[in-house]
Amino acid sequence: MADIKFTKTHEWVTKDGEVYAIGISDFAQKSLGDVVFVNLPEAGDEVSKGESFGDVESVKAVSDLMSPVSGTVTEVNEDLNDAPEKLNSDPYGAWIIRVSDVSDTEELMDEAAYKEFCSKEE
Amino acid sequence: MSEIRKTPLHETHVAEGAEMVDFGGWDMPMQYPDGIIAEHLYTRSHCSIFDVSHMGRFIIRGPERLAFLQHVLTSNVAALELNQAQYTIIPTETGGAVDDAYVYLYEDGWYLLVVNAANTKKDWDHLSAVIRDYDCTMTDITDEWSSIALQGPRSKEVLMVLTGGVQPTEPVKNALNTLTLEGHTARIAKTGYTGEPLGYEIYVKSTDAVWLWNRLIGLGAKPAGLGARDTLRLEAGFPLYGDEFGADYEGKEIPIYAVPLAKFAVSFSQQKGDYIGRAALAQQFEAYKKIQNRDFSGMDVLPKKVTPITLTGRGVMRSGMEVYRKGKLIGRVTSGTMVPYYRSEGTGLDTKILEEAGRRAIGLAYLSSDVLVDDKVEVDIRGKRVQAAIPPYHMRVDAPPFARPILYGHEEETVPAEGGPLEQRGITLLQKALDNHTWRQKKCVNLIPSENTPSDAVRLLCSLDPSGRYAEHKKIKSFYDADVFYYQGTKFIDEVEQLLVEQMKEYLGCTEVETRVTSGQMANTAVFSALMDWKNRLDRKHSPKRLGPVMNNHIIRGGHLSAQPMGALHDYIAVDPVTEKSAVVNFPVCADNPYRIDVEETKKLIEQYRPELIIFGKSMVLYREPVAEIRRFVDEQNIPATIMYDMAHVLGLVGPYFQEPFRDGADIVTGSTHKTFFGPQRGVIGVNYREEDLNYGLWETIERRAFPGSVSNHHLGTLLGLLMASYEMNAFKDDYQKAVITNAKSFARSLAKNGLDVIGDPDTGYTETHQVLLSVGYAAGPEAAERLERSNIIVNYQATPDEEGFTASGALRMGVAEMTRFGFGPGDFEKLSELMADCILHGTDVSKDVEALRAEHLEMQYCFKGEAFENELRKVFNTLNR
Repeated sequence: MADIKFTKTHEWVTKDGEVYAIGISDFAQKSLGDVVFVNLPEAGDEVSKGESFGDVESVKAVSDLMSPVSGTVTEVNEDLNDAPEKLNSDPYGAWIIRVSDVSDTEELMDEAAYKEFCSKEE
Repeated sequence: MSEIRKTPLHETHVAEGAEMVDFGGWDMPMQYPDGIIAEHLYTRSHCSIFDVSHMGRFIIRGPERLAFLQHVLTSNVAALELNQAQYTIIPTETGGAVDDAYVYLYEDGWYLLVVNAANTKKDWDHLSAVIRDYDCTMTDITDEWSSIALQGPRSKEVLMVLTGGVQPTEPVKNALNTLTLEGHTARIAKTGYTGEPLGYEIYVKSTDAVWLWNRLIGLGAKPAGLGARDTLRLEAGFPLYGDEFGADYEGKEIPIYAVPLAKFAVSFSQQKGDYIGRAALAQQFEAYKKIQNRDFSGMDVLPKKVTPITLTGRGVMRSGMEVYRKGKLIGRVTSGTMVPYYRSEGTGLDTKILEEAGRRAIGLAYLSSDVLVDDKVEVDIRGKRVQAAIPPYHMRVDAPPFARPILYGHEEETVPAEGGPLEQRGITLLQKALDNHTWRQKKCVNLIPSENTPSDAVRLLCSLDPSGRYAEHKKIKSFYDADVFYYQGTKFIDEVEQLLVEQMKEYLGCTEVETRVTSGQMANTAVFSALMDWKNRLDRKHSPKRLGPVMNNHIIRGGHLSAQPMGALHDYIAVDPVTEKSAVVNFPVCADNPYRIDVEETKKLIEQYRPELIIFGKSMVLYREPVAEIRRFVDEQNIPATIMYDMAHVLGLVGPYFQEPFRDGADIVTGSTHKTFFGPQRGVIGVNYREEDLNYGLWETIERRAFPGSVSNHHLGTLLGLLMASYEMNAFKDDYQKAVITNAKSFARSLAKNGLDVIGDPDTGYTETHQVLLSVGYAAGPEAAERLERSNIIVNYQATPDEEGFTASGALRMGVAEMTRFGFGPGDFEKLSELMADCILHGTDVSKDVEALRAEHLEMQYCFKGEAFENELRKVFNTLNR
């Protein structure tokens, strides 16, 4: 996962060509606990850097999903409607949305910096 | 804020990797590494342990402890019997809740009050301000005792390892017991906050907490945290202080009657006198009753109520979200999340719980009191209105050992409607009826103890002419009590009925018999109605007083349904003002044998309660009832109790081989004529009053409660059949009864010899009746009975005194009467035992062997077979045959 980057709000981003995939980090899924529902946007929706594009609900609480980029949603992971627990079991495999036409990107951390960041949050 | 507190299990939780949170000032586990969903599901399928040591525990002692608790709690603490607990609320003066709580009576002399952790200090201060006026003291023992909740279907078997096989408590909710668990004293309560039908809360010394926790884990329980505790209680529909009790989302006090559980927790018994909040609660109760009757004029007192709510659209409800009905705001969600459940397939008793889990967004909401079940509402989830509905409940627990999720909108499969012309359907019915008849009469070994097959003569007589007729008759004093009939054409049935009465008097050994009642249950209803009428005969200007106290056998110990408040006693039993329940006292049973009445303990209860009616008789019956001992005792003590024996199952065994109730001193005997007796399905009442007795008037009342009280037409066809059956019985009873008892004992012995677990005392041949009880393992009864049916052996599954209900049945109840009548002897029962063992223990299909065994015994015995009799019978048959 060399090119994986992280936000301060615990989303991860990978880039494949011009398409960005976005998910939540292992740290995020652990602190949420059992994920039971993901409120997804639709393909074609615009997302903006630093703003919510959906939410993820665990048994305990709800948490906003913050977009690290501005752009257009090209694809959403519909599997998460029936199996939201994949965000717990495979956080880096279970992407949530894919975004293209990215015009702006938040300042992101690499894996080492994110690890450091998380150790302070604990 | 004082320092955060830790329970004695704190280090254990941390070592197990729990995520710890501050809860009410305590550092508690929210969840363990498996997570809330896994913990929830494990509780429902196996069993979990919860550290509930953080809850406040107060002990109240001193002469005025009861008066104090009656004043500060909403429940009737005087109704608590030893080893019982009750749910209660600590009310405010204005009818809200300071807290909800549980009060326990483990020993005479002190009460234990357990309160919510977050409210412990507030409760202590509130109670301390009142206790000054009472001669009693309150001690906070929160630190000295710890508490572990063990909840789930496997909890009983796990706990029984620690008790050394002893039942933890009586198998009823709120039962208590004090036991030693491998040398450690424990106070056990059959209570919990998960809704599990099997669950215990165990109090031990704090120094024993870690030992108990680890021991329970060693036995298969898994730890669960506050997260699962909350989803479990939400699914069960239980309120949580702070969400459903206390202040609402506007800061207003939630009235106690807004919470459905209140009706169990609030008492207006005179014994409580005036207590804190009583006036406000009485006002709420009046409003509550109106609202329940859909009269919403009382909504100023109870504007909102706590109700379950379920999301039918996508999303998750959370506390505080607004709820709308037809666009109008009607309240808010008080608790809500996504809760997992096990999916199931099949219907009814065949429902199979699958390993696959689903999840549903459910909650509790505080909504306008006029909201009704099935109302469609909307929940505002962060600005989006999502569809929701009001279900009656989220879960049911009346099919133990499992709690069953109730999914909103679930539809049961129904039998497909039949088609075709009605005559064709008639033909199909005839074919199916004949198939069934042939199967039960020629291929099956029938062991249902409440059934029998009447002889050919009896069956034929049942279908002769009187079967469609009426013959109402009543004794008229003006004619010296001669029976007057209302219709013509009844002289024959008049004679039949008189002959039948004479036969039954001879059989029962009593002075009077009523044969018009058409079932055993109706016989009991007529007797109870008559007893109540007789009790009130001197004062007709007031509403009649009901019966009570009444002594009977508890239904879980084999008591007959027909003698229970839920059965024939229902409309005739008083409510005890102390317990606020039916005024029934149950026979105590022997410690080493729950199937036998403990005579000495019974005498103590009779002295204490002075019951006006004592009802012997059971439907799970292995032994004689101690009629003579109790008759002697009530006579010595001058207690004017009526002694009744509901002989239901054992009516056909009246005699020297079993029991002669009137010789033993019974006043009244009721029974059904078709279990061990030879008759068609009817009832009978016998009494031993003579014309010169005061109670002869009771007898005449019984006759009037039979007709016109219970029947208008008294099923004349079966009445005719019953006369033939009574001839047969009086002719053959000596041989038949001897054979039944011999067969039952030998059947029981053979079953045991073949490795099956027969209930009862082997030294006395396990049974003194026609019944044999077989233990097949906890909750395994329904499956075993179904398996035997596939092998043509018909039995019924039965809950033993230790089991929670029919779905948890671990026994099979069998009777030998019908097969005895078809000529089975000890050798046949020996063969049958081998087949049953094969089927039950090894799952072998023995249907062909059973059919072959049955084929050897198709001819009925203990009935008339002379040539002249056969000739007449053939004439009857030919007449019916056109």
